[in-house]
Amino acid sequence: MSNDKTSLQLVTNGILKENPIFKLALSMCPAVGISTTVMNGIMLGLAVLFVQVFSSVTISLIKDFIHPRIRIPTYTLTIATWVTVIDLTLAAFFPVAYAKMGIFVKIIVAFAIITMRLEMFACKETVSDSFWDGIGMGMGFLLGMVTIGFVRELLGSGAIMGYDVLGFKPLLFFILPSAGFFVVGLMMGFFNWIETRYAQRKRGNA
Amino acid sequence: MKNFLTIIFRLTASCLVAGLIMGTTFVLTNKAKKANEHAREQKVVFALLGYSGGQEIPESMGMHELYRYVVTDGEGQSIGYLLPVGEHGQDGGFSFVRIGLDGSFLNQTSVPVSEENVRDQGERDKAIQAALGGDKTIRFTDQTIVVTDHGQRTAYLLSGKFPGFKTNIAIILALDPEYSVIGLEVMEHEEDPGLGAEIEQDYFKNQFKYKPFEKIKSIEVAKKPMPDEYFAALEGNVDEAAADDIMQQYRDQDIYALTGATISSVAVSSGVKGMTRKFAYRLDLLDNVLEQQQIAVPF
Repeated sequence: MSNDKTSLQLVTNGILKENPIFKLALSMCPAVGISTTVMNGIMLGLAVLFVQVFSSVTISLIKDFIHPRIRIPTYTLTIATWVTVIDLTLAAFFPVAYAKMGIFVKIIVAFAIITMRLEMFACKETVSDSFWDGIGMGMGFLLGMVTIGFVRELLGSGAIMGYDVLGFKPLLFFILPSAGFFVVGLMMGFFNWIETRYAQRKRGNA
Repeated sequence: MKNFLTIIFRLTASCLVAGLIMGTTFVLTNKAKKANEHAREQKVVFALLGYSGGQEIPESMGMHELYRYVVTDGEGQSIGYLLPVGEHGQDGGFSFVRIGLDGSFLNQTSVPVSEENVRDQGERDKAIQAALGGDKTIRFTDQTIVVTDHGQRTAYLLSGKFPGFKTNIAIILALDPEYSVIGLEVMEHEEDPGLGAEIEQDYFKNQFKYKPFEKIKSIEVAKKPMPDEYFAALEGNVDEAAADDIMQQYRDQDIYALTGATISSVAVSSGVKGMTRKFAYRLDLLDNVLEQQQIAVPF
Protein backbone atom coordinates (compact mmCIF):
# COMPACT_ATOMS: atom_id res chain seq x y z
CA MET A 1 0.00 0.00 0.00
CA SER A 2 1.74 3.10 -1.16
CA ASN A 3 0.72 6.69 -1.67
CA ASP A 4 1.47 8.90 -4.63
CA LYS A 5 2.67 11.94 -2.71
CA THR A 6 6.10 13.42 -3.31
CA SER A 7 8.47 13.95 -0.40
CA LEU A 8 7.80 17.70 -0.45
CA GLN A 9 4.07 17.09 -0.27
CA LEU A 10 4.58 14.78 2.68
CA VAL A 11 6.53 17.47 4.53
CA THR A 12 4.04 20.28 3.83
CA ASN A 13 1.22 17.91 4.71
CA GLY A 14 2.63 17.61 8.23
CA ILE A 15 3.15 21.33 8.56
CA LEU A 16 -0.14 22.61 7.14
CA LYS A 17 -2.86 20.16 6.24
CA GLU A 18 -2.35 17.74 9.11
CA ASN A 19 -0.58 19.95 11.60
CA PRO A 20 -0.34 17.84 14.79
CA ILE A 21 -1.44 20.62 17.10
CA PHE A 22 -3.91 22.71 15.10
CA LYS A 23 -5.45 20.05 12.87
CA LEU A 24 -5.00 16.66 14.49
CA ALA A 25 -5.24 18.11 18.03
CA LEU A 26 -2.81 15.53 19.37
CA SER A 27 -0.25 15.88 22.15
CA MET A 28 -2.19 18.73 23.66
CA CYS A 29 -0.69 18.28 27.13
CA PRO A 30 2.78 19.43 26.09
CA ALA A 31 1.32 22.02 23.75
CA VAL A 32 -0.54 23.53 26.67
CA GLY A 33 1.88 22.81 29.49
CA ILE A 34 5.27 23.62 28.06
CA SER A 35 4.71 26.22 25.36
CA THR A 36 5.17 29.14 27.73
CA THR A 37 8.19 30.53 25.88
CA VAL A 38 9.54 30.36 22.34
CA MET A 39 12.71 28.64 23.57
CA ASN A 40 10.77 25.86 25.30
CA GLY A 41 8.81 25.38 22.08
CA ILE A 42 11.96 25.06 19.99
CA MET A 43 13.59 22.61 22.40
CA LEU A 44 10.58 20.34 22.71
CA GLY A 45 9.89 20.62 18.98
CA LEU A 46 13.43 19.55 18.11
CA ALA A 47 13.30 16.64 20.52
CA VAL A 48 9.99 15.47 19.02
CA LEU A 49 11.35 15.90 15.49
CA PHE A 50 14.31 13.62 16.19
CA VAL A 51 12.33 10.93 17.96
CA GLN A 52 9.55 11.02 15.35
CA VAL A 53 11.93 10.59 12.42
CA PHE A 54 13.96 7.81 14.04
CA SER A 55 10.88 5.91 15.26
CA SER A 56 9.04 6.26 11.94
CA VAL A 57 12.00 4.88 10.02
CA THR A 58 12.50 2.03 12.48
CA ILE A 59 8.86 0.97 12.43
CA SER A 60 8.76 1.22 8.66
CA LEU A 61 11.83 -1.03 8.46
CA ILE A 62 10.45 -3.72 10.75
CA LYS A 63 6.76 -3.40 9.78
CA ASP A 64 6.63 -6.91 8.28
CA PHE A 65 7.75 -8.50 11.55
CA ILE A 66 5.27 -6.78 13.85
CA HIS A 67 2.46 -9.00 15.03
CA PRO A 68 -0.79 -7.02 14.51
CA ARG A 69 -1.97 -7.82 18.04
CA ILE A 70 1.02 -6.22 19.69
CA ARG A 71 1.53 -3.17 17.47
CA ILE A 72 1.03 -0.59 20.19
CA PRO A 73 3.46 -2.16 22.69
CA THR A 74 6.00 -2.42 19.91
CA TYR A 75 5.57 1.25 19.03
CA THR A 76 5.93 2.29 22.65
CA LEU A 77 9.01 0.13 22.99
CA THR A 78 10.56 1.62 19.85
CA ILE A 79 9.89 5.16 21.00
CA ALA A 80 11.22 4.44 24.47
CA THR A 81 14.37 2.92 23.01
CA TRP A 82 15.01 5.92 20.79
CA VAL A 83 14.30 8.36 23.59
CA THR A 84 16.79 6.55 25.82
CA VAL A 85 19.43 6.34 23.10
CA ILE A 86 19.08 10.02 22.20
CA ASP A 87 19.07 11.02 25.85
CA LEU A 88 22.22 9.06 26.67
CA THR A 89 24.07 10.17 23.53
CA LEU A 90 23.27 13.82 24.15
CA ALA A 91 24.39 13.51 27.77
CA ALA A 92 27.66 11.89 26.79
CA PHE A 93 28.77 13.79 23.71
CA PHE A 94 26.81 17.06 23.63
CA PRO A 95 26.75 18.24 27.25
CA VAL A 96 25.94 21.83 26.30
CA ALA A 97 22.87 20.85 24.28
CA TYR A 98 21.90 18.30 26.90
CA ALA A 99 21.86 20.90 29.64
CA LYS A 100 19.08 22.67 27.72
CA MET A 101 17.26 19.80 26.02
CA GLY A 102 17.66 16.99 28.56
CA ILE A 103 14.37 17.28 30.37
CA PHE A 104 12.44 17.74 27.13
CA VAL A 105 13.77 14.54 25.58
CA LYS A 106 12.79 12.46 28.60
CA ILE A 107 9.14 13.43 28.63
CA ILE A 108 8.26 12.51 25.06
CA VAL A 109 7.99 8.74 25.53
CA ALA A 110 4.25 9.00 25.91
CA PHE A 111 3.47 11.56 23.22
CA ALA A 112 0.31 10.68 21.33
CA ILE A 113 1.48 12.26 18.10
CA ILE A 114 4.43 9.89 17.67
CA THR A 115 2.47 6.70 18.38
CA MET A 116 -0.37 7.90 16.16
CA ARG A 117 1.95 8.62 13.25
CA LEU A 118 3.52 5.17 13.55
CA GLU A 119 0.07 3.58 13.52
CA MET A 120 -1.39 5.68 10.70
CA PHE A 121 1.58 5.99 8.44
CA ALA A 122 4.88 4.29 9.18
CA CYS A 123 3.48 0.78 9.57
CA LYS A 124 2.01 0.89 6.06
CA GLU A 125 4.33 2.99 3.94
CA THR A 126 7.86 2.75 2.58
CA VAL A 127 10.91 3.78 4.56
CA SER A 128 11.61 6.97 2.61
CA ASP A 129 7.98 8.09 2.76
CA SER A 130 7.98 7.46 6.50
CA PHE A 131 11.15 9.49 6.84
CA TRP A 132 9.62 12.50 5.06
CA ASP A 133 6.37 12.12 6.97
CA GLY A 134 8.36 12.08 10.21
CA ILE A 135 10.15 15.26 9.17
CA GLY A 136 6.86 16.90 8.24
CA MET A 137 5.12 15.96 11.48
CA GLY A 138 8.11 16.99 13.56
CA MET A 139 8.32 20.33 11.76
CA GLY A 140 4.59 20.85 12.10
CA PHE A 141 4.81 20.23 15.83
CA LEU A 142 7.87 22.45 16.14
CA LEU A 143 6.25 25.34 14.27
CA GLY A 144 3.01 24.93 16.21
CA MET A 145 4.85 25.02 19.53
CA VAL A 146 6.88 28.05 18.48
CA THR A 147 3.76 29.95 17.38
CA ILE A 148 1.93 29.23 20.63
CA GLY A 149 5.08 29.96 22.61
CA PHE A 150 5.47 33.28 20.80
CA VAL A 151 1.95 34.43 21.66
CA ARG A 152 2.13 33.25 25.25
CA GLU A 153 5.59 34.63 25.93
CA LEU A 154 4.76 37.98 24.37
CA LEU A 155 1.47 38.37 26.21
CA GLY A 156 2.50 36.63 29.41
CA SER A 157 5.96 37.94 30.13
CA GLY A 158 6.32 40.69 27.53
CA ALA A 159 9.39 39.09 26.02
CA ILE A 160 10.51 37.14 22.96
CA MET A 161 13.22 34.50 23.28
CA GLY A 162 13.92 35.81 26.75
CA TYR A 163 14.55 39.38 25.56
CA ASP A 164 12.25 41.95 27.05
CA VAL A 165 10.51 43.70 24.16
CA LEU A 166 7.42 45.27 25.72
CA GLY A 167 8.99 46.42 28.97
CA PHE A 168 5.97 45.28 30.99
CA LYS A 169 3.98 42.12 31.55
CA PRO A 170 0.55 42.50 29.93
CA LEU A 171 -1.20 39.39 31.26
CA LEU A 172 0.56 37.03 33.64
CA PHE A 173 -2.40 34.71 33.09
CA PHE A 174 -0.96 33.63 29.73
CA ILE A 175 1.94 31.78 31.32
CA LEU A 176 -0.36 29.59 33.40
CA PRO A 177 -1.36 26.21 31.94
CA SER A 178 -5.05 27.05 31.68
CA ALA A 179 -4.30 29.92 29.31
CA GLY A 180 -2.68 27.43 26.98
CA PHE A 181 -6.12 26.05 26.18
CA PHE A 182 -7.38 29.48 25.18
CA VAL A 183 -4.39 30.21 23.00
CA VAL A 184 -4.46 26.81 21.30
CA GLY A 185 -8.23 26.99 20.81
CA LEU A 186 -8.20 30.49 19.39
CA MET A 187 -5.33 29.73 17.07
CA MET A 188 -6.97 26.53 15.94
CA GLY A 189 -10.08 28.52 15.06
CA PHE A 190 -8.00 31.19 13.35
CA PHE A 191 -6.19 28.70 11.13
CA ASN A 192 -9.39 26.90 10.25
CA TRP A 193 -11.01 30.23 9.37
CA ILE A 194 -8.12 31.09 7.03
CA GLU A 195 -8.37 27.70 5.41
CA THR A 196 -12.11 27.99 4.88
CA ARG A 197 -11.73 31.46 3.36
CA TYR A 198 -8.97 30.19 1.13
CA ALA A 199 -11.05 27.24 -0.03
CA GLN A 200 -14.04 29.52 -0.70
CA ARG A 201 -12.01 31.90 -2.80
CA LYS A 202 -10.55 29.02 -4.74
CA ARG A 203 -14.01 27.72 -5.43
CA GLY A 204 -15.17 31.21 -6.41
CA ASN A 205 -12.36 31.53 -8.94
CA ALA A 206 -12.95 28.18 -10.48
CA MET B 1 -3.35 -20.89 21.87
CA LYS B 2 -0.82 -20.71 19.10
CA ASN B 3 -1.54 -17.01 18.83
CA PHE B 4 -0.80 -16.58 22.49
CA LEU B 5 2.56 -18.22 22.18
CA THR B 6 3.60 -16.13 19.17
CA ILE B 7 2.55 -12.96 20.96
CA ILE B 8 4.46 -13.90 24.08
CA PHE B 9 7.47 -14.89 22.04
CA ARG B 10 7.50 -11.74 19.91
CA LEU B 11 6.94 -9.40 22.82
CA THR B 12 9.80 -11.01 24.73
CA ALA B 13 12.02 -10.87 21.67
CA SER B 14 11.32 -7.19 21.01
CA CYS B 15 11.88 -6.34 24.66
CA LEU B 16 15.19 -8.17 24.57
CA VAL B 17 16.28 -6.36 21.42
CA ALA B 18 15.26 -3.00 22.86
CA GLY B 19 17.04 -3.82 26.11
CA LEU B 20 20.14 -4.81 24.22
CA ILE B 21 20.20 -1.56 22.25
CA MET B 22 19.64 0.56 25.35
CA GLY B 23 22.20 -1.43 27.30
CA THR B 24 24.84 -1.08 24.61
CA THR B 25 24.25 2.66 24.38
CA PHE B 26 24.52 2.93 28.14
CA VAL B 27 27.81 1.05 28.21
CA LEU B 28 29.20 3.10 25.33
CA THR B 29 28.19 6.47 26.72
CA ASN B 30 28.41 6.01 30.47
CA LYS B 31 32.07 6.91 30.83
CA ALA B 32 31.78 10.11 28.82
CA LYS B 33 28.61 11.00 30.72
CA LYS B 34 30.32 10.54 34.09
CA ALA B 35 33.27 12.62 32.93
CA ASN B 36 30.91 15.38 31.78
CA GLU B 37 29.07 15.31 35.07
CA HIS B 38 32.28 15.48 37.06
CA ALA B 39 33.57 18.37 34.95
CA ARG B 40 30.29 20.19 35.43
CA GLU B 41 30.35 19.56 39.16
CA GLN B 42 33.88 20.96 39.42
CA LYS B 43 32.87 24.02 37.45
CA VAL B 44 29.79 24.56 39.63
CA VAL B 45 31.81 24.14 42.80
CA PHE B 46 34.38 26.74 41.75
CA ALA B 47 31.65 29.09 40.51
CA LEU B 48 29.91 28.84 43.88
CA LEU B 49 33.18 29.69 45.62
CA GLY B 50 33.53 32.73 43.39
CA TYR B 51 36.11 31.48 40.89
CA SER B 52 34.17 31.52 37.66
CA GLY B 53 35.38 32.25 34.15
CA GLY B 54 38.93 30.90 34.27
CA GLN B 55 40.00 32.78 37.39
CA GLU B 56 43.14 31.46 39.02
CA ILE B 57 42.49 29.20 42.00
CA PRO B 58 44.90 30.10 44.81
CA GLU B 59 47.29 27.36 45.85
CA SER B 60 46.62 27.87 49.50
CA MET B 61 43.06 26.66 48.97
CA GLY B 62 42.46 23.10 50.01
CA MET B 63 39.44 20.88 49.54
CA HIS B 64 38.90 18.08 52.03
CA GLU B 65 36.21 15.54 51.44
CA LEU B 66 34.15 14.05 54.23
CA TYR B 67 32.08 10.96 53.56
CA ARG B 68 29.28 10.10 55.94
CA TYR B 69 28.18 6.52 56.45
CA VAL B 70 25.56 4.77 58.53
CA VAL B 71 27.13 1.75 60.23
CA THR B 72 24.92 -1.11 61.38
CA ASP B 73 26.23 -3.87 63.60
CA GLY B 74 24.61 -6.37 65.95
CA GLU B 75 23.35 -3.92 68.59
CA GLY B 76 22.39 -0.91 66.58
CA GLN B 77 23.39 1.92 64.38
CA SER B 78 26.12 4.49 64.53
CA ILE B 79 27.43 7.18 62.22
CA GLY B 80 30.82 6.92 60.59
CA TYR B 81 32.88 9.60 58.87
CA LEU B 82 35.66 8.85 56.46
CA LEU B 83 37.98 11.83 56.70
CA PRO B 84 41.55 12.77 55.91
CA VAL B 85 43.77 13.00 59.00
CA GLY B 86 47.05 14.70 59.79
CA GLU B 87 47.99 18.33 60.44
CA HIS B 88 47.50 20.93 57.73
CA GLY B 89 49.99 20.38 54.93
CA GLN B 90 50.93 16.81 55.72
CA ASP B 91 49.33 13.68 54.34
CA GLY B 92 48.19 11.32 57.03
CA GLY B 93 45.93 9.10 54.97
CA PHE B 94 42.28 8.49 55.75
CA SER B 95 40.55 7.46 58.96
CA PHE B 96 37.08 6.18 59.68
CA VAL B 97 35.71 7.79 62.83
CA ARG B 98 32.61 6.25 64.35
CA ILE B 99 30.24 8.28 66.47
CA GLY B 100 27.25 6.97 68.40
CA LEU B 101 23.80 8.39 67.78
CA ASP B 102 24.10 10.38 71.02
CA GLY B 103 27.28 12.06 69.82
CA SER B 104 29.76 9.99 71.84
CA PHE B 105 33.02 8.78 70.33
CA LEU B 106 33.13 5.05 69.57
CA ASN B 107 36.36 4.30 67.77
CA GLN B 108 38.76 5.32 65.03
CA THR B 109 40.05 3.00 62.35
CA SER B 110 42.64 3.93 59.81
CA VAL B 111 41.57 3.11 56.24
CA PRO B 112 44.29 2.48 53.66
CA VAL B 113 42.85 4.06 50.51
CA SER B 114 44.48 6.30 47.93
CA GLU B 115 43.44 9.84 47.04
CA GLU B 116 42.02 8.74 43.65
CA ASN B 117 40.23 5.63 44.84
CA VAL B 118 38.43 7.47 47.61
CA ARG B 119 36.35 9.35 45.02
CA ASP B 120 34.96 6.14 43.58
CA GLN B 121 32.14 4.84 45.72
CA GLY B 122 32.76 1.16 45.02
CA GLU B 123 36.45 1.31 45.90
CA ARG B 124 35.78 3.44 48.96
CA ASP B 125 33.11 1.13 50.34
CA LYS B 126 35.38 -1.85 49.85
CA ALA B 127 38.29 -0.22 51.68
CA ILE B 128 36.13 0.82 54.64
CA GLN B 129 34.47 -2.57 54.87
CA ALA B 130 37.89 -4.26 54.87
CA ALA B 131 39.16 -1.96 57.62
CA LEU B 132 36.06 -2.42 59.80
CA GLY B 133 35.77 -6.17 59.54
CA GLY B 134 32.92 -8.32 58.37
CA ASP B 135 30.37 -8.02 61.20
CA LYS B 136 29.31 -4.46 60.32
CA THR B 137 27.39 -3.21 57.30
CA ILE B 138 27.93 0.28 56.00
CA ARG B 139 25.71 2.49 53.89
CA PHE B 140 26.95 5.67 52.20
CA THR B 141 24.68 8.64 52.85
CA ASP B 142 26.32 11.85 51.71
CA GLN B 143 29.52 13.73 51.21
CA THR B 144 30.70 17.16 52.19
CA ILE B 145 33.69 19.14 51.02
CA VAL B 146 35.36 21.40 53.53
CA VAL B 147 37.15 24.22 51.76
CA THR B 148 40.12 25.74 53.54
CA ASP B 149 42.46 28.62 52.88
CA HIS B 150 45.83 28.46 54.71
CA GLY B 151 44.31 25.83 56.96
CA GLN B 152 41.33 28.03 57.92
CA ARG B 153 37.86 26.89 56.98
CA THR B 154 36.28 29.16 54.40
CA ALA B 155 33.30 27.19 53.15
CA TYR B 156 31.40 23.93 53.21
CA LEU B 157 30.07 22.33 50.05
CA LEU B 158 27.15 20.01 50.59
CA SER B 159 25.63 17.81 47.96
CA GLY B 160 22.13 16.66 48.69
CA LYS B 161 18.99 15.20 47.22
CA PHE B 162 15.38 15.67 48.21
CA PRO B 163 12.02 14.88 46.61
CA GLY B 164 10.68 17.53 44.25
CA PHE B 165 7.33 17.65 42.47
CA LYS B 166 8.23 14.70 40.25
CA THR B 167 11.53 13.02 41.02
CA ASN B 168 14.41 13.90 43.27
CA ILE B 169 16.09 17.27 43.01
CA ALA B 170 19.87 17.17 43.47
CA ILE B 171 21.64 20.35 44.55
CA ILE B 172 25.05 21.54 45.66
CA LEU B 173 24.85 24.00 48.52
CA ALA B 174 27.73 26.22 49.60
CA LEU B 175 27.75 27.42 53.21
CA ASP B 176 30.20 29.68 55.00
CA PRO B 177 31.72 28.68 58.39
CA GLU B 178 28.73 30.30 60.18
CA TYR B 179 26.38 28.16 58.07
CA SER B 180 25.01 31.11 56.10
CA VAL B 181 24.27 30.30 52.49
CA ILE B 182 26.93 31.35 49.97
CA GLY B 183 24.98 29.98 47.04
CA LEU B 184 23.31 26.95 45.60
CA GLU B 185 23.18 25.24 42.26
CA VAL B 186 20.58 22.77 40.99
CA MET B 187 22.41 19.81 39.51
CA GLU B 188 19.64 17.47 38.51
CA HIS B 189 15.87 17.62 38.42
CA GLU B 190 12.93 16.62 36.29
CA GLU B 191 10.45 19.34 37.14
CA ASP B 192 8.06 20.59 34.47
CA PRO B 193 9.71 22.88 31.92
CA GLY B 194 8.40 26.42 32.25
CA LEU B 195 7.01 25.81 35.72
CA GLY B 196 9.00 23.84 38.29
CA ALA B 197 12.08 23.86 36.10
CA GLU B 198 12.41 27.56 36.89
CA ILE B 199 14.10 26.53 40.15
CA GLU B 200 17.36 26.58 38.23
CA GLN B 201 16.88 30.21 37.20
CA ASP B 202 18.92 32.90 38.92
CA TYR B 203 15.88 34.78 40.17
CA PHE B 204 14.83 31.77 42.20
CA LYS B 205 18.03 30.18 43.44
CA ASN B 206 19.84 33.46 44.17
CA GLN B 207 17.14 34.25 46.72
CA PHE B 208 18.93 31.89 49.09
CA LYS B 209 22.21 33.75 48.68
CA TYR B 210 23.61 35.35 51.86
CA LYS B 211 20.62 34.31 53.94
CA PRO B 212 21.94 33.94 57.51
CA PHE B 213 21.70 30.60 59.32
CA GLU B 214 19.15 32.04 61.76
CA LYS B 215 16.80 32.74 58.85
CA ILE B 216 17.48 29.54 56.95
CA LYS B 217 16.56 27.53 60.03
CA SER B 218 12.94 28.63 59.77
CA ILE B 219 12.63 29.65 56.14
CA GLU B 220 9.20 29.51 54.51
CA VAL B 221 7.82 30.14 51.05
CA ALA B 222 5.70 33.23 50.43
CA LYS B 223 3.04 33.11 47.73
CA LYS B 224 3.13 36.68 46.53
CA PRO B 225 4.55 38.38 43.45
CA MET B 226 8.23 39.23 43.60
CA PRO B 227 9.00 42.97 43.59
CA ASP B 228 10.57 44.10 40.32
CA GLU B 229 13.70 45.60 41.91
CA TYR B 230 14.44 42.34 43.73
CA PHE B 231 13.97 40.39 40.51
CA ALA B 232 16.42 42.67 38.69
CA ALA B 233 18.98 42.33 41.46
CA LEU B 234 18.68 38.53 41.53
CA GLU B 235 19.05 38.28 37.78
CA GLY B 236 22.11 40.53 37.88
CA ASN B 237 20.47 43.25 35.74
CA VAL B 238 21.65 46.08 37.97
CA ASP B 239 25.21 46.96 38.93
CA GLU B 240 26.83 45.18 41.83
CA ALA B 241 26.67 47.85 44.50
CA ALA B 242 22.96 48.46 43.91
CA ALA B 243 22.28 44.73 43.77
CA ASP B 244 24.03 44.25 47.13
CA ASP B 245 21.86 46.97 48.65
CA ILE B 246 18.66 45.39 47.41
CA MET B 247 19.74 41.90 48.43
CA GLN B 248 20.49 43.27 51.90
CA GLN B 249 16.90 44.55 52.20
CA TYR B 250 15.43 41.14 51.43
CA ARG B 251 17.94 39.15 53.45
CA ASP B 252 15.51 38.32 56.23
CA GLN B 253 12.51 37.75 53.98
CA ASP B 254 11.02 34.41 53.05
CA ILE B 255 11.52 32.84 49.63
CA TYR B 256 9.15 34.07 46.92
CA ALA B 257 7.42 31.06 45.34
CA LEU B 258 7.59 30.46 41.59
CA THR B 259 4.39 31.23 39.75
CA GLY B 260 2.50 27.98 39.19
CA ALA B 261 5.14 25.87 40.91
CA THR B 262 4.60 26.26 44.64
CA ILE B 263 5.37 22.61 45.32
CA SER B 264 8.76 22.79 43.62
CA SER B 265 9.55 26.04 45.43
CA VAL B 266 8.60 24.57 48.80
CA ALA B 267 10.59 21.42 48.01
CA VAL B 268 13.77 23.39 47.37
CA SER B 269 13.46 25.68 50.35
CA SER B 270 12.63 22.91 52.79
CA GLY B 271 15.41 20.86 51.23
CA VAL B 272 17.91 23.65 51.84
CA LYS B 273 16.52 24.20 55.32
CA GLY B 274 16.83 20.50 56.19
CA MET B 275 20.30 20.13 54.72
CA THR B 276 21.65 23.18 56.53
CA ARG B 277 20.13 22.31 59.89
CA LYS B 278 21.22 18.71 59.84
CA PHE B 279 24.68 19.58 58.62
CA ALA B 280 25.19 22.20 61.33
CA TYR B 281 24.10 19.71 63.99
CA ARG B 282 26.26 16.90 62.64
CA LEU B 283 29.35 18.99 62.11
CA ASP B 284 29.16 20.33 65.65
CA LEU B 285 29.05 16.76 66.95
CA LEU B 286 31.95 15.73 64.74
CA ASP B 287 34.06 18.74 65.70
CA ASN B 288 33.37 18.03 69.34
CA VAL B 289 34.55 14.45 69.02
CA LEU B 290 37.62 15.39 66.99
CA GLU B 291 38.59 17.93 69.64
CA GLN B 292 38.02 15.60 72.58
CA GLN B 293 39.94 12.74 71.04
CA GLN B 294 42.62 15.08 69.72
CA ILE B 295 42.40 13.71 66.21
CA ALA B 296 44.36 16.04 63.97
CA VAL B 297 42.61 16.94 60.72
CA PRO B 298 43.77 19.26 57.95
CA PHE B 299 40.60 21.35 58.14
